[in-house]
Amino acid sequence: MGGNEEIVQIKMIPLKFLNKSEKEKLVRQLNEQFGIKEIPWEIARLGKERIILFSGKVSEKEIQILDRFARIEGVGVYFAKIDEKTNDLRLSIEGTQLLKNQITKNIFELDEKQAEEWMMGQDLNIATGKKGFYIIKFKDDFLGTGKISENKISNFIPKSRRLKYKEVKL
Amino acid sequence: MTKRTYEPKPLFIERMKKLLGKDFDSYMEILKKEPVRSFRCNTLKISSEVLKKRLEEKGWKIKIPFEKFPEIMIVESDLQPGELGRAIEHLLGYYYIQEIASMLPVLVLNPKPNERVLDLCASPGSKTTQIAARMENTGLLIANEVKFGRVKILAANTERCGVMNMIMTRKDGIALCKRFKDENILFDKILLDAPCSGEGTIRSTPKTLEMWNINTIKLLSNLQKSLIASAIEILKPNGEIVYSTCTHAPEEDEEIVDYALKNFNVQVEKIELPLKTVQGITKWEDKEYLEDVKYSCRVYPQNADTEGFFLVKLRKKK
Repeated sequence: MGGNEEIVQIKMIPLKFLNKSEKEKLVRQLNEQFGIKEIPWEIARLGKERIILFSGKVSEKEIQILDRFARIEGVGVYFAKIDEKTNDLRLSIEGTQLLKNQITKNIFELDEKQAEEWMMGQDLNIATGKKGFYIIKFKDDFLGTGKISENKISNFIPKSRRLKYKEVKL
Repeated sequence: MTKRTYEPKPLFIERMKKLLGKDFDSYMEILKKEPVRSFRCNTLKISSEVLKKRLEEKGWKIKIPFEKFPEIMIVESDLQPGELGRAIEHLLGYYYIQEIASMLPVLVLNPKPNERVLDLCASPGSKTTQIAARMENTGLLIANEVKFGRVKILAANTERCGVMNMIMTRKDGIALCKRFKDENILFDKILLDAPCSGEGTIRSTPKTLEMWNINTIKLLSNLQKSLIASAIEILKPNGEIVYSTCTHAPEEDEEIVDYALKNFNVQVEKIELPLKTVQGITKWEDKEYLEDVKYSCRVYPQNADTEGFFLVKLRKKK
């Protein structure tokens, strides 16, 4: 995309690229939550809740032209979701992987058994003494975000990304 | 679970004998053999070296068949059915399960960072994700698919692989190219992995034999000609298009190349592949093709222990 000031809205899907101030606001929030300081790509909102990242080089005019004659089904990669109750950001698996070098806070490291249960889509029934959204990590793998409450970590791994059998070794 | 077998139709056998000559028996023999378990490291997320080490630590025996392309790997150890797809590394997008022959078109296209690339018939996304990896998530990749159900599969695979430089469209390929042409939106490189009769996929999908039909081949041939004609129009001068199919039918392969050479300002580029291939034929039934069509590549299963494929690279003259 060319300038950051323009808002490019795509009609086929409810996607809107963020302008400079909107982007700065989002990065501030990412910094507060996870220590992320910079997003070197374009950011867009998909509907009310989903945030996507786009690293492609295309002008606003071209995207509008494309939108006029082809049905745009997707742009970039799904990065995060805005929690409807708290407005906090919950990063997708790809979101955590893409920015792993910048994530410095609110990381929760799992052991092997917990990581296996996590990847099977299970909530983890553990009292952590923490609260809020945490990046879930096992060794070098970033496994998305979990919501930690008093006695459990809620799981958001989508069905298509879950381990099917326990005996599969991590 | 044993795979159901299907009897090849007499006309299919007759045609393959004509194409293969003395190699026909070894071709029929390899169709009975399970395909090798190959996959491609998704270098957008992990290096080939780290992935290989990690998988070997799980006890998998990993082979890198081509030194020049360390991202291409084969599992040589016995795995449980479906284990390759269920592994955590697959779920996290560290690799993409892909037949080796199907990796060849992108190796030949050789997309580079910051180029503008169109993948015209993109789903399920094996080659789209391979292109994005080669482009290092830069430039612009437009991935188009006409069928709604297949768009969803494409979206799931590109997301799992962290493809970030892509705009995904759903439109008839011919109509899409026409609009690009009208708007003067041109591409450095185009992959036209065309819809085809799939004769090359018999090893993994024996049902192809049951569905095989000469009339379908003729219909597909017309569609493929329209697709390549439309795609060439939106190449930049000196731009490159790779045309590929997973079929052996000359009507869908050399005939399309011959049609492109005779009707458009393109030339065939000689290509080098890391496995044994056979050059394109220049005569089939009552048709004679231009001499340069021989620079196309036929990939036969019995030659490289892969699926069957066909590919050619054309360059738009300046």
